[in-house]
Amino acid sequence: MNWRGELNKYLASTYKNWIISKRNVFTLFELFFWPIMGLLTIGLLTRFLNVSSNTVSFLLVGSIALTILQTSQMDVAYVLLFDMWSKSIKNTFIAPIKSYHLVFGALLFGIVRGTFVFGILVVVSNRLFGFDFLAGGIAPVLIFLVGVYAMAAVIGITVCISILTFGQKADVAAWSLSGVVLLVSGIYYPVEVLPPALQALSRAIPLTYFLEYYRSVYISGPHNIVLGALLAALYLVVGLMMFAWSIERARRTGIMLRLSE
Amino acid sequence: MSEISVKAIGIFKGYKSFFGKNTEVLKDITLEIRSDEIFGILGPNGSGKTTLISIFSTLIYPEKGSLKILGLDSRTEKDAIRKQINISTAKPNFPWSLTVRENLKHYAMLYGMYGSELKKSVDEQIEAFELEEYRDIKFEDLSTGLKQRLSLAKAMLNRPRLIFLDEPTTGLDPEIAIKTRQLIRRIHRENEVSVILSTHYMPEAEMLCDRIAFLRHGQMVAQDTPQNLKNQLHLGERMILHYVGPVNIDELEHIPGVMRIKAEPGIAEIVIDRTAENVDRIIKLFAGASILNIDIIEPDLEDVFLELAR
Repeated sequence: MNWRGELNKYLASTYKNWIISKRNVFTLFELFFWPIMGLLTIGLLTRFLNVSSNTVSFLLVGSIALTILQTSQMDVAYVLLFDMWSKSIKNTFIAPIKSYHLVFGALLFGIVRGTFVFGILVVVSNRLFGFDFLAGGIAPVLIFLVGVYAMAAVIGITVCISILTFGQKADVAAWSLSGVVLLVSGIYYPVEVLPPALQALSRAIPLTYFLEYYRSVYISGPHNIVLGALLAALYLVVGLMMFAWSIERARRTGIMLRLSE
Repeated sequence: MSEISVKAIGIFKGYKSFFGKNTEVLKDITLEIRSDEIFGILGPNGSGKTTLISIFSTLIYPEKGSLKILGLDSRTEKDAIRKQINISTAKPNFPWSLTVRENLKHYAMLYGMYGSELKKSVDEQIEAFELEEYRDIKFEDLSTGLKQRLSLAKAMLNRPRLIFLDEPTTGLDPEIAIKTRQLIRRIHRENEVSVILSTHYMPEAEMLCDRIAFLRHGQMVAQDTPQNLKNQLHLGERMILHYVGPVNIDELEHIPGVMRIKAEPGIAEIVIDRTAENVDRIIKLFAGASILNIDIIEPDLEDVFLELAR
C-alpha cells in the first residue's frame, strides 16, 4: 500500500470524529462554554484575591493547560468510545488497522480542537485579564502545546486500554486520571507545596515539566524540559504498545464481542 | 478446482469470567469451506454461530486449533487476511450520526482506500445496494432494512474474496428479507465472493446455501448439503390423509417403512420412508373409507434442525 492509503487509515478516525463532533450541538459547550467558564472563574478569582501579576500568569497558564488537555484527551478516547456507544466496534477491528492508526488519527482532531480552544482562551485572557500568552514568542508556545498534546494522547490511550481490558464501564475510572494530573502536576500551585510522596509522583508526569518550562517564560525558575519530553515520548511509546496488546487481549478473551453487544 | 476459503481443524473457544471460570463455547470444530460455495452455519440461539464467524473473521482468536483463511495462517498472517475479507454483523450498527455515504467513506479509509478508488468504490456500493436516495440520510434515521443494506454495502467496500454474514435477515420484514437474500446470491455470483453466513432461519439456509453445518452446544453435529442431510437423517416424508369412514389405524404400524403415526378422527398423519409399495399398502388400508385429500410433504431443513437439536 502506498503512503496515501496508509495516511487514510490515520485520517479515517479524524474524519469520523470530525463528522460526529460537527453534528453534536454539545460540541459548542466543549469548545466555548466550559473553556471560557473555567478561564473566567480562575481570572476573576485572581482579581478577588488581588494577587501579583506573576501569580495571575501562573494560574492562567495552568487553567489553559488543563482545558486543552481535557479537550484533546477526549478526542483520543472518543476513537473507541464512539464505536462502543454505537456498538460498531466489530466493523472497526475487522479492518486491517493498527492501534497507532486509531490513536494518531484521533489525536490529530484533538490537536485541531485543542488549538482552536487555545486560540479562544489566548484572546479572552488577553482582553479580560491583560495576560499575553505569546509574550515569550511562538517557540515556547509550540513546545508547551506539544507537551500538553502528548499528555492528552497518553490519557486518551489509557482510557481505551481500560475499556478493552475491563469492559464498558471502565472509562469512568480512566477519566479520573485527569483528576490525578490536576492534583499533582502543578496546574494551580507549584508542586513544592505537595507532600513528598506526591511530589515524587508529580516528577513522573511530563505535564509538570512542560508547565514549569512555559511558566519560566513569565516567572524565572528552573525547569527540565528535556526530561519532560523524554518522559512524554516514553509514555507514548509504552501506551501505544499496551494499547496494541490490549486489542490482542480483547480478541483472545472475547471482550471485543461483548463490547459490540 | 476451487480454492479453500476456510480450513479449520480442532477449533476450541471458551470465555473466562472475571473469577477465572471458563465457559466452553466451541468444541473441536473441524470443517473445510470452498471458495465457490455459500456455506451456512446453523444452530439454535447460543449454539456458538456468532463466535465461530467471529473467529473465522479474525475478530477474536480461538484457544486451540489450526485455522487457515484463504490459505493464510490466522495467527501469523492476520493483516493479509483482513485485507481480503469483510463482515456484515447481526443487528448492523454504525456510528449513528454519519450518513450512508460518510459511513462508507469512513470504512473505505480504514481499508486504506483513497482518491478516485475510494470514491468509485463508495459510489459503486451505493448503486449496487440501491442506496442512492438515502446516501445523505444519517444511520440513526434509516429503517432496519436500509441498515442491513448499508451493512452489506460496507462488507463489499474492499472487494473482499470472502464475506461473513451474521444472521443477515434477522429482524427484517419478509419482503425485505427476500430482497436481501437475492442480494446475497447476486454478491456471490457476480463478484465471485465466497459467502459464509449464519442463520437460525431454516428456509433461508435451504434457499441460499450449497452446504451447511449444524452447531449445537458449541459442537458441530452435522455438515453436508441440505439434501444429503435430509437423506442421511432418514426423516421420512409426511403423508397427510383426510378421510371419512372406518379405518383400522393400528394396522398402519405393520406396514414396512412407516416411521410415525399421528391420528385424529378424520385425519391421519403418517411419516414414511416412501416407496411405491408402502404408499400402495397405506392407500389400500383406507379402502373402506372415502379419502378426501392426500398431501405428501418432503422433509425440510426445519425438520433436520429439530432432529439435530434433540
